[in-house]
Amino acid sequence: MTATSCGVETTLEAPPERIVTIKSSATEMVLALGAGNRLVGTAFADGPVPADLAAAATDVPVLAEKNPSTEAVLELEPDLIYAGWESNLSADGAGERAMFQGLGVATYVSPSACKGPAYRPEKLTFDLVFDEIAEAGRLLGADEAAADLVAEQRAELDSVVRSDAGLTALWYSSGEDVPYVGAGIGAPQMIMDAVGLENVAGEVKDTWTSLGWEAVAEANPDVIVLVDATWNTAEHKRATLERNPVTATLPAVQEERYLVVPFPATEAGVRNVPAVTDLAEQLAELGVTP
Amino acid sequence: MGLALSALAVVLAGVAGWALTLGQADISTAQVWTSAWHHLCAGVSTPAGGWCPANPLSEIQDAIVWSGRAPRVVAAAAVGAGLALCGGVMQALTRNPLADPYLLGVSSGASVGAVLVLVLGLAAALPVAAFVGAVAALVLTLALATGRGGGLSPVRTVLAGVAVAQAGSAVVSFVIFWSSTGDSYREILTWLMGSLGGATWPEALTALGATAVVGTYLAGQARTLDAFTFGDVSAASLGVAVTRTRWVLLGATALLTGLLVSVAGAIGFVGLVVPHAVRLLVGERHHRLLPVAALAGATFLLLTDTASRSLFEPRELPVGILTAVVGAPVFAVLLRRRAAS
Repeated sequence: MTATSCGVETTLEAPPERIVTIKSSATEMVLALGAGNRLVGTAFADGPVPADLAAAATDVPVLAEKNPSTEAVLELEPDLIYAGWESNLSADGAGERAMFQGLGVATYVSPSACKGPAYRPEKLTFDLVFDEIAEAGRLLGADEAAADLVAEQRAELDSVVRSDAGLTALWYSSGEDVPYVGAGIGAPQMIMDAVGLENVAGEVKDTWTSLGWEAVAEANPDVIVLVDATWNTAEHKRATLERNPVTATLPAVQEERYLVVPFPATEAGVRNVPAVTDLAEQLAELGVTP
Repeated sequence: MGLALSALAVVLAGVAGWALTLGQADISTAQVWTSAWHHLCAGVSTPAGGWCPANPLSEIQDAIVWSGRAPRVVAAAAVGAGLALCGGVMQALTRNPLADPYLLGVSSGASVGAVLVLVLGLAAALPVAAFVGAVAALVLTLALATGRGGGLSPVRTVLAGVAVAQAGSAVVSFVIFWSSTGDSYREILTWLMGSLGGATWPEALTALGATAVVGTYLAGQARTLDAFTFGDVSAASLGVAVTRTRWVLLGATALLTGLLVSVAGAIGFVGLVVPHAVRLLVGERHHRLLPVAALAGATFLLLTDTASRSLFEPRELPVGILTAVVGAPVFAVLLRRRAAS
């Protein structure tokens, strides 16, 4: 089994028995494909695993809170390291991919996280997310589970009631002096498209971008998507928007037209489709009309 | 001299007015001025003649101009003026042309305080933490630099400042490396490179007030500062209580720097470059140097901040990137001139 991610080819003679994952998106992918019992270590969790994977995750050992050291990873004698960010497998992270591959450890990086211009997706789509699920399934020797998961998620995605009200939205990820928001080609844009929200930063050709508060006020979004992270909660962002005298005048802030999405669902992976369903339901509950 | 200062003040006012009309939002210059007239007029009286125009701006546009851009313009000018003053005074007191709030560890101390707060998520206490960090770093620098007799040698001061700054940046790096999760490092990065993007009226007025008060005091010390530039022995022979005066003046600049850093983050190069550039134009004497440096610093940071929010709109750059991009080459030219002369 051979897979190429971010331009690096990796080969597994047999399905991996000892898997290490770095980042929530990678860990949750392995759990969702039913290979949780082969996880010998996970690292860099962005938050708790979702409820439907919690049972599968109970006995999985946590290797490190952030990037693990090379030695800590090698000590586990993994046959596959699956990372959510390219930087997880660099000299600054757990170690370089070439080094691991030289030691017979296969490495795989979520293709949507590739940074090189030749490998980075033009624009993230659900087809690309499903391709990753399928490819991860092949790598793990869990083709069937992957096919089932993709079919299930496709059906769920098709059943989402997409808003046709023409609402605009700001995807507010972090930042107080200068907000950091979801831009035109990443997971936030993909999710907003599926929910039927027009991204006010959609013109920026990047996954995420810094955006001045003035630009936010000028766009006057109908709703604001607050990213809920343990280190920067949705509640904290709500307070920031209310405290900032420019955003405090926005109708979306005054009428509390907020949608909340957990941080780990904002990176490409198995949680994007559930996030779409969740946001569509929250939007329906808000009952906003432009 | 008076004429030159007036001319500079007019330039600054012009740049400020111009900056107020520039931005991402689609608001015309005429609308901004009509709205300014409306606010001024409504603030002064409720005239019967109806010569007060209606505000042409919507509520959101009004907030964009008067709660967003206006405090930002004031904060940029005040921070720029204050940093240039601090740099000029520190250069005189340490007789080191490289001295600025960075070199004495003050900015880095403020960064330690701020980063600790940002990572712990206590955003409300950020200005206080930055301020405490700045003052603590300066006290540490001065304590390290003080000789047995209580004297403060220029060389030791600068070396102590470098040590404190290095230690501070190590703490900052450690905190970022150890505890930044997800995208929280971006907020720290924005802060470390300096940004006026979140400036509010209370912050802008704090910066303005601090710069005005400390700046007036420092400008009043021009003769003493002139004496310092000839060396401690000359200063003492001119009747300056060298050690005590240096402590007091450095303390004043630390106080001001701490406040400015708490408002705008760690903006580099203004304190270093502006006084040098001004020295080339008006000479070393502080009664000229300080006021001109303050006005020039205000104009410089106002221009760079306006560029940082306009160049790549709707994106926004941390202004510290631009001050460094502009400041580094200017400094290089100054260095070459010094080498040549």
